Amino acid sequence: MSLKLNTDLLIILIAFPILWFAPAGLKSYGLYVVSLWLVMSIAAMGLNLTLGYAGLTSLAQGAFLGIGAYATAILTVKAGWPLPAAFLVSTGLSFLVGVVLGFPALRVKHHYLAFVTLAFSVVVFLIARNEQWLTGGVFGLANIPRPTLFGTDLGGGLAFYRVVLVVTLALTLVMWWLLHSPWGRAFQAIRENGTRAASLGVDIRAYTLLAFAIGSAFGGAAGALYAPLVEFIDPSPFALSASFVLLLTVVAGGAGSFFGPFVGAFFSYMLPELLRATGGWYLIIYAAVVLVLVMVSPTGLLGLIDRWRDHQSQRKAAAIRAAARPTLANGAETNPKEQGAAS
Amino acid sequence: MLFKTMAAAVALSAAFAGSALADTVKLIDVIELSGPGAPAGTNWKNGSDLAAAEINAKGGILGQKIELIHYDSQTNPGATRAAVQRAVDEDAYVVLGPIFSGPISASMQITQRAAVPQIVGGEAAAFTRQGNNYIFRTSLNQADSMPKLANYLRDEVKAKSVAVVWINNDFGKGGRDAMIPELQKRGIQIAADIATESGQADFAADAIKVKNANADAVFVYLNEEESARFLRAARQQGIAKPIIGETTLLGAKVIELAGDAANGVKGHVGLLVDAPKPSFAEFGKKYMDKYGFTSDHNGIKGYTAVYTVKAITERIGKFDREAFAKALHGARIDVAQEPGILIDTKWTATGDVDRESFLVEITNGKPVVKTTLPMINP
Repeated sequence: MSLKLNTDLLIILIAFPILWFAPAGLKSYGLYVVSLWLVMSIAAMGLNLTLGYAGLTSLAQGAFLGIGAYATAILTVKAGWPLPAAFLVSTGLSFLVGVVLGFPALRVKHHYLAFVTLAFSVVVFLIARNEQWLTGGVFGLANIPRPTLFGTDLGGGLAFYRVVLVVTLALTLVMWWLLHSPWGRAFQAIRENGTRAASLGVDIRAYTLLAFAIGSAFGGAAGALYAPLVEFIDPSPFALSASFVLLLTVVAGGAGSFFGPFVGAFFSYMLPELLRATGGWYLIIYAAVVLVLVMVSPTGLLGLIDRWRDHQSQRKAAAIRAAARPTLANGAETNPKEQGAAS
Repeated sequence: MLFKTMAAAVALSAAFAGSALADTVKLIDVIELSGPGAPAGTNWKNGSDLAAAEINAKGGILGQKIELIHYDSQTNPGATRAAVQRAVDEDAYVVLGPIFSGPISASMQITQRAAVPQIVGGEAAAFTRQGNNYIFRTSLNQADSMPKLANYLRDEVKAKSVAVVWINNDFGKGGRDAMIPELQKRGIQIAADIATESGQADFAADAIKVKNANADAVFVYLNEEESARFLRAARQQGIAKPIIGETTLLGAKVIELAGDAANGVKGHVGLLVDAPKPSFAEFGKKYMDKYGFTSDHNGIKGYTAVYTVKAITERIGKFDREAFAKALHGARIDVAQEPGILIDTKWTATGDVDRESFLVEITNGKPVVKTTLPMINP
């Protein structure tokens, strides 16, 4: 356990400086796409906690992205708040709404929970669209400001990317700490066997609510970065399809694996952009890749590595078993082929 | 991992393919090729391709061939923004598209900041009212179309009450918000105000509501596919009152999809290939020959957008974005000077267009122009 723990942390610490310097040569388009990848990774990390670690199938992550984005847009555009304050309030608001939505999660599981969260997503979308006095309705909210720090404008492509990167690092470390704390183990215990977890003294009600709320808060945080990234929001990016894509992101990356959300977000948000070079074919190719992936590896891209590792260790174990198998021939000239056929 | 390698290979090949030829002028078209806007975007793409091919065959603009690149906006604001950002990075002389208003609102700050002119196909009122000097339309602002339609309802249809059916997106809501005050100003009562969904399949309930409202006329403001579905539902419910609409309701795609249900529909149209102008008929034929179906107004918009770039660039005599934007404000391009513009067009100081438009009725599956309405400020 402690070895794996250190590898994750090591990867985070190595990746950070690379991600800090590597995109410096990119133009605004490249920076936008890489920033979008990080923002969606945050949202997917949150869903990975609820789905991958706590085993709660949620179709509401797109709605939490929307809650975070709208809260930030309203606070910065209409109330004139600075972005960091709006970010904290948006994240907190998503946490609170997550707690409230978590209550049904205590009563229903699996696809019933998916239905409850699906309904919630639709309600959030309708509020965003119909309450025009607050959200701008179908016309959306424009000119969402990017941050400044001590008079320095962080609104340029590279500067804002680095802001997003720092926030992503902070949230990734929080997630890492959370998963390796007793809380993280409690989440996994509930996912694996709720009754046993309860019998060991895990407060299922509190931990289920927490998993939901923290996952939602990550969605809200991602939304709070999405709004200034795009500088314009309307209800369409937070419709039900957004939640489905986020679910695909987590599953494609590998639900319950720490870096799965990053791999999955690369797959869902960057791959379509990279495939643009193929002209009119790009969505077809993307869809084919998704199909093949789900068929070949239902455990996601990182699941492929795990499966390969399992396969290797099984082969090794098989070799050891074969070597250790007692033979009747006792070292005489037995043909191993015949032995194999007999056994 | 395999996917990553594959993606990297694709990206690499894109980088090589992207290196442009020196004596070309690059126009990048960010357009709806997938998502709900795909029918409109495909027409626009074809129209712009047709124009670019014609201009290139005649030697290009100021001796430079047009290199026209299309990027799919997915009818999604975020993806549009990425594509427009890419267009600016790739040094587009002018950005063409998109058509849907949400994606326009999400991307127009980028071209404004980079001082790249953007010629769009949107009709929603808001985006030319924000002081952006680089945004230009190819069609009438819905806020300019609605007074014409309201006059028509009062004077020709002689309606005292109207049921309004609109689509709940920025296009439909914008149109509804512009139309209702115009009707009320003329003393016409709103008998029903019915919102419908984008992508809605079944309009039976809405048609029944319209029927029960028993208004003198029905004003329908939906996107193309929804318009066709509504017309079919309206006929099934036996609505006999005049059905009046704007450009989308009388589009070629709607007539094709709605079949007989489209007969008798009347309304105001900015651009259509059946307009009584030889230039439109000629364009309509060329389009039909090349693509095998009738162009709707979006095909004309895409076609004239490219010719607008040609006409204005030749007028300023150089490839200069700032001078282009300046010259297009207040410009007037006549068919006599540039046949590719298809109809005499004037641009206002805000980037809106002013031109003649048409009152049309669909008879036997064909749009027939009844009246030609003059420019607002000729």
